[in-house]
Amino acid sequence: MDFIENNSDAQTNSDQSNISDKVAAKALDKGFIEEQSRIFKNTWIPVCHESELPDPYDFRTSSIGNENVIICRAPDGKVNALLNVCPHRGMLIERRPQGSFLEGQASGNPKRITCMFHAWQFDMRGNCVYVAREKEGYQDRFCKDDAGLRRLRCEVNYGGFVWVNMNDQPAIFLEEWAGAAFSAIESQICSAPLEVVHYHKEVVDTGYQQLMSQDFGSIAGDANAANLDYGHIVTRHGEVENNDPSQTSSFPSPESGQSTSVRLFPGFAFHLDGPTLNVATITPLNDSQVMIEHRGLAPKADSEEERKLRSKHYNAKFGPFRLQKMPEPNESVSGKVEENGLFIHYNNEWLRWMDQHPNGETRISEFPSSHSKTQGLSENGELSGPHIVVIGASHAGVAFVDKVRKNGFGGRLTVFDRQVGGPMERPPLSKAFLLGGGETVESKSLLRQKKWYKTNKIKLKTQSNVEAIDTKKKTITVSSGAVINYDNLVIASGAIPRELPDTHGMGNAFTLRQPSDANAIRQAANNSDTVVIIGGGYIGLEVAASLRKKGMAVTVIEAAKRILARVASEPLADRLTTLHEDNGVQVLTGVGVDSINAEDGIFDSVTLTSGQKIVGDMLITGIGVFPDSKLAAEAGIETQRKDGGAILVDETMKTSEEDVFAVGDVALRRDQSLAIESVHNAQETAAVAAAAVTGSIAPTLQTPWFWSDQYDVKLQIVGVVPVSDDDVYQVARTGKRDGAVSFWSYRGKELVAVEVVNDPATYMEARQCLDTGQSPDPEQISSLSFSPIDSGGARS
Amino acid sequence: MENNSLVTIERKIEKIIYQAALALDENNWADWFKLCDDSFFYSITSFSPEIGKDMTYFSGDKKELTGLMDMLPKHNTDHSPLRRHTSVYTIDISEDGKTAEAVSSVVIYQNLLDGINSHLDSGESRLFVVGKYHDKFLINDSLPKFVNRETKIDNRRLDKGSHWPL
Repeated sequence: MDFIENNSDAQTNSDQSNISDKVAAKALDKGFIEEQSRIFKNTWIPVCHESELPDPYDFRTSSIGNENVIICRAPDGKVNALLNVCPHRGMLIERRPQGSFLEGQASGNPKRITCMFHAWQFDMRGNCVYVAREKEGYQDRFCKDDAGLRRLRCEVNYGGFVWVNMNDQPAIFLEEWAGAAFSAIESQICSAPLEVVHYHKEVVDTGYQQLMSQDFGSIAGDANAANLDYGHIVTRHGEVENNDPSQTSSFPSPESGQSTSVRLFPGFAFHLDGPTLNVATITPLNDSQVMIEHRGLAPKADSEEERKLRSKHYNAKFGPFRLQKMPEPNESVSGKVEENGLFIHYNNEWLRWMDQHPNGETRISEFPSSHSKTQGLSENGELSGPHIVVIGASHAGVAFVDKVRKNGFGGRLTVFDRQVGGPMERPPLSKAFLLGGGETVESKSLLRQKKWYKTNKIKLKTQSNVEAIDTKKKTITVSSGAVINYDNLVIASGAIPRELPDTHGMGNAFTLRQPSDANAIRQAANNSDTVVIIGGGYIGLEVAASLRKKGMAVTVIEAAKRILARVASEPLADRLTTLHEDNGVQVLTGVGVDSINAEDGIFDSVTLTSGQKIVGDMLITGIGVFPDSKLAAEAGIETQRKDGGAILVDETMKTSEEDVFAVGDVALRRDQSLAIESVHNAQETAAVAAAAVTGSIAPTLQTPWFWSDQYDVKLQIVGVVPVSDDDVYQVARTGKRDGAVSFWSYRGKELVAVEVVNDPATYMEARQCLDTGQSPDPEQISSLSFSPIDSGGARS
Repeated sequence: MENNSLVTIERKIEKIIYQAALALDENNWADWFKLCDDSFFYSITSFSPEIGKDMTYFSGDKKELTGLMDMLPKHNTDHSPLRRHTSVYTIDISEDGKTAEAVSSVVIYQNLLDGINSHLDSGESRLFVVGKYHDKFLINDSLPKFVNRETKIDNRRLDKGSHWPL
């Protein structure tokens, strides 16, 4: 776009001081800020071309509406746009205009975006993958999965340009917004891969509307100018009339004599001029200064001669050292604009975005998210509008309301939970919680403090059991008899621990799922010396470790041949068996329970199928859970079986019923056979559902992860170990620290999961491998001198 | 070549580079062209870290440059004079003494004359362009003449007044 000739009218600025300083130095006009907020943060901006970040881990930085943006190419080749601001302290992260994260930087690891302030690290999708001293500093109050870089709407289209919209819910899809305009040149610019070969920028001392006015002056009176929807304008000139790319005289042919310009509101121009393509994009700096970036593009396949020819043409037309013809004395720019109405067309679109159009036309209603925070408030300050009801204040339920608010949902949010007290962190219940001496739930174990619900306008209804769902009327009935309407229903009812029939109603016999269970176990343990635990899964083993630490005599009974038979590899199971035995736990495997015996209704002993009798003061059963889907099944929502099982959902966590979603342990995707009960699964499924409900960008799915603490051993697992797959084998890798070891599970040469004992650094490497699709050589992984990250093996 | 001759030619090359700077400062294209061989070729180039590529912003032979200079009065232009500070860093003369290459730094200041409000702006000097001259010479009868000048600038932001040969 020749917005303004770079050497004309003395309207340009030669002050080469730092542009950022310019923005900072000039107090920003209120109208300018409103324009940035309403227009530039809601329209599609061509921030760069994909050739500016050709390889995985390449990046390019830019800014939109004074917000710093980074565009990265992920290992799979996908281009992502992220806010270039660390969520920790709001620091700008990457300061270079372009580069690669493939190699490590002074303050960052390879293949990571690293904030130099406190070394938080992010992958190319913006996921936070490392927080320094995460556990020591934040304990369980913080999870780095909630601390990713903000992902922005990003599409690569129209000749390889990278389009970013700051609004997560754009008023208009890119193709609807720009498709008609680009139809004039799309066949030419998409007929061969292009690359940027020229780049320069200039700052002009004028408001961008005045700049556009002068630009329209240069084409005023042009009979070939066509006004299109959304304020765009297309002009055509030259030899080719039908834009048929098969004709040698159209771009990208070096002999092209065609000239077509696509001018997109509010100020992005694609000039196809003979053999060259110039793209000019504006970035308003304040109410009276605009930066214009010029990019010159050419086919990647150009010969040296073709490239020279294009370069010469480009420099003469668009280069910074071009000559511009002086206008004739009677060429009045403003007069021309008035004559042909181009600027009126442009200005009408500006008025729509600014909600000032005389006919009341507006784009504002099309982007509710930026206004929803206030629009939903009634006169008394209560939220109104759409109502999302969540059943179950589990990890998944609370994560859902958190995400949906963060996605800009401005309506009502109500969470019903049958439990007493606020929703709690569950992982500590089988670990440190049991060691405490108190009789109540500590506030530090709450998932969120009370103030958080108030701040986020979330109604939390505890001790409120939902008794029925009517999907036709879109209502739920709670235990108080109240019938509540919903627009969207999210079922996060979790799972229920399996009980052995003999233990029903038996004193001193427990399962562990809820805080009330943990409280009961803790109180009983304070008055007991011996405990029998049925089930050698993670819950059973964690409880065994905790109660052994309290000094109790512990026996673990597992019917399978080994502990953790369903979830962990054999080498890890063996190691943990040794760990428990070394700590004085009696671990009995491969033996079933024949009967559970009580005296006066109080647990007394377990008789094994071998005939052995194990006497104890208390019994804890940890033999798994089943999804709490009874309510859903009764409402006709599809579940695995007619009589229950998990609620079946699609890839957006939507159930068989429109407007009803299921998240966390109660849900199972139809395309999966295995439900993974973990905090990670709860958070991820909640984020997916929240994105679906609000129409936001779906989160990038991570490799499943899990952790467990037993004695002084920290166990971290990434990936799912396919324990029933005979083709899967493990390779052990000893860590640098005492007792540190990891077990790398491979199918052939493909890495599928890694289990790590007391070695957080290796866990980070393993997670990086699995997240980025790398498979380190299984023959070398046992060697500590071999770095799994740099080995370069790719997963199939 | 003998050392004395080498020193003499080096001095002449330094001198011609500084004479070119003076001629360009004065927009005296005729005097500048007198220092150039008929085969002279001029270019302005830059490396862009933004796109990771070497770029040519301008190029032309003596004929094209002459045409450019003739066209200048017919075009809009910023009248702020440019002032070049040039330091010759290296001179390499070929063994046969017929050609030479030199690298010089160049810093160009702009002394404002035009402006949005010339009442306020005129008279101020601003840093305009930073870069290096990569020059090549033909030497006939101990007289060096420019055959190639690549003005390799660091700037990628280029505002008004930038179309004159730098």
